[in-house]
Amino acid sequence: MWLWFAKLGSPKWFYELSTKWLPWLVVATVLVIGTATVWALLFLPPDYQQGYTSRILVVHVAVAGTSLAFFPLMAVAGTITLVWKMKLADMVAKNAAALGAWFSFITLATGSIWGSVSWGTWWEWSDSRLVSMLFQFFLLLGVVSLRSALEDTDKAAKACALLSIVGCINVVIIKYSVEWWNTLHQPASPVSLQSGSANGPEFWIATALMILGVYLFLSVSLILSTRNEILQRERRALWVKEMIAAER
Amino acid sequence: MLSVGVKPSTRSAFMLTLKRDLLIAFKRKNDIVNPFMFFVIVISLFPLAISPEGERLTEIAAGVIWIAVLLSAMLSMDSLYRGDFEDGSLEILLLSPHPLFFLVLAKNIAHWLVSGLPVVIASPLLAYMLKLPSESYATLMLTLLIGTPTLSLIGSIAVALTVGLGSRGLILAVITLPFSVPVLIFGTLAVQASASGLPSGGYLTLLLALLAGSLSLAPLTSAAALRISVS
Repeated sequence: MWLWFAKLGSPKWFYELSTKWLPWLVVATVLVIGTATVWALLFLPPDYQQGYTSRILVVHVAVAGTSLAFFPLMAVAGTITLVWKMKLADMVAKNAAALGAWFSFITLATGSIWGSVSWGTWWEWSDSRLVSMLFQFFLLLGVVSLRSALEDTDKAAKACALLSIVGCINVVIIKYSVEWWNTLHQPASPVSLQSGSANGPEFWIATALMILGVYLFLSVSLILSTRNEILQRERRALWVKEMIAAER
Repeated sequence: MLSVGVKPSTRSAFMLTLKRDLLIAFKRKNDIVNPFMFFVIVISLFPLAISPEGERLTEIAAGVIWIAVLLSAMLSMDSLYRGDFEDGSLEILLLSPHPLFFLVLAKNIAHWLVSGLPVVIASPLLAYMLKLPSESYATLMLTLLIGTPTLSLIGSIAVALTVGLGSRGLILAVITLPFSVPVLIFGTLAVQASASGLPSGGYLTLLLALLAGSLSLAPLTSAAALRISVS
């Protein structure tokens, strides 16, 4: 167990392993997202109230759910950085912040597009989920800008780790405090077996597939950017030099 | 101040840090006066920009005061560790045998006494100028009394993280402001509730909970952040 853990911290080991896994992951991502998209856009029956606009929810729900994973992910990676000083954890955390900001943005964008049809408004302050997602977006941007402001890599790693842990707690507090307003956003629909409604079986299976696809996409992009980060930070390491020499 | 070889108690170290910071604050009055002036000026801009009508002002009064508090708190936070970082006394603080938790807490309290407390005291006057109903003055002062130390404690983390940076005014804002959202929400909700004759006790307890939470966790985090920044 501990050997495995120590190995995981080695950038070289991660780089080699990810080289093997990456093609499979990419194929899986394309397949799953492709299937889910085609299904959602072409075959999903329109909701009896929302019509075809309910289809965008497949993407929205999947991205929104995934974007909530970033702060916990960064907090765990941050703890690993602070406690075990594992370089790899910080490389992942660094890219997770920017990626998380993008996911939050896409959540807000798709939600707005859906809302413009279903609610008749692009933005609604009185809704708690919109506002807390907006502030999660801001908090993630804060982590990104702290990272870019600190020049020393080691210091930036620890500082961002700490900020991510605090931010993770804060996202929860913000979420609950924002809920004091009257909420327009419907609570997550319970899974229902009745077909033809926006929470019917076709719908939630498509959504579940899309969630899987988005998570796969998330891991692919995290792995790709982490590999970049590894090459950048370990550019003076022997194995990187040898690898580059071999490629020439 | 201290004789070599005698280790003072943590309590006296706490008091000494508090006294020292207060003394420095009174010698450098600009650091206190400017954020306070900023607070007053920002508030007096709102009636000019929005409307001098009493009814409109009553509606926005709580929010305006709270946002001005947030912004001025952020400006005043900037000086919390900067002077100590520049003259090296922060490193001595970190090397001290006492728990950094209490030293950081002492610095935060000293900072609040000179930056937060004046705002709390001046708030009824500004509330009067913004035509807040007089029944809400007490609630407003109470929310500020609980809220401003919370803001100082939370802000201290971000200041500690960025203490080594040259230009950090904006990054401080980007990090701290989203963190202050819960305080802002409960603070304004409490004042609005009391302005419309509703009980505001629930919001005040939530504010107290935030204060209790940040009082116990924020100095710990600030201490860790200082150790990261000064290394």
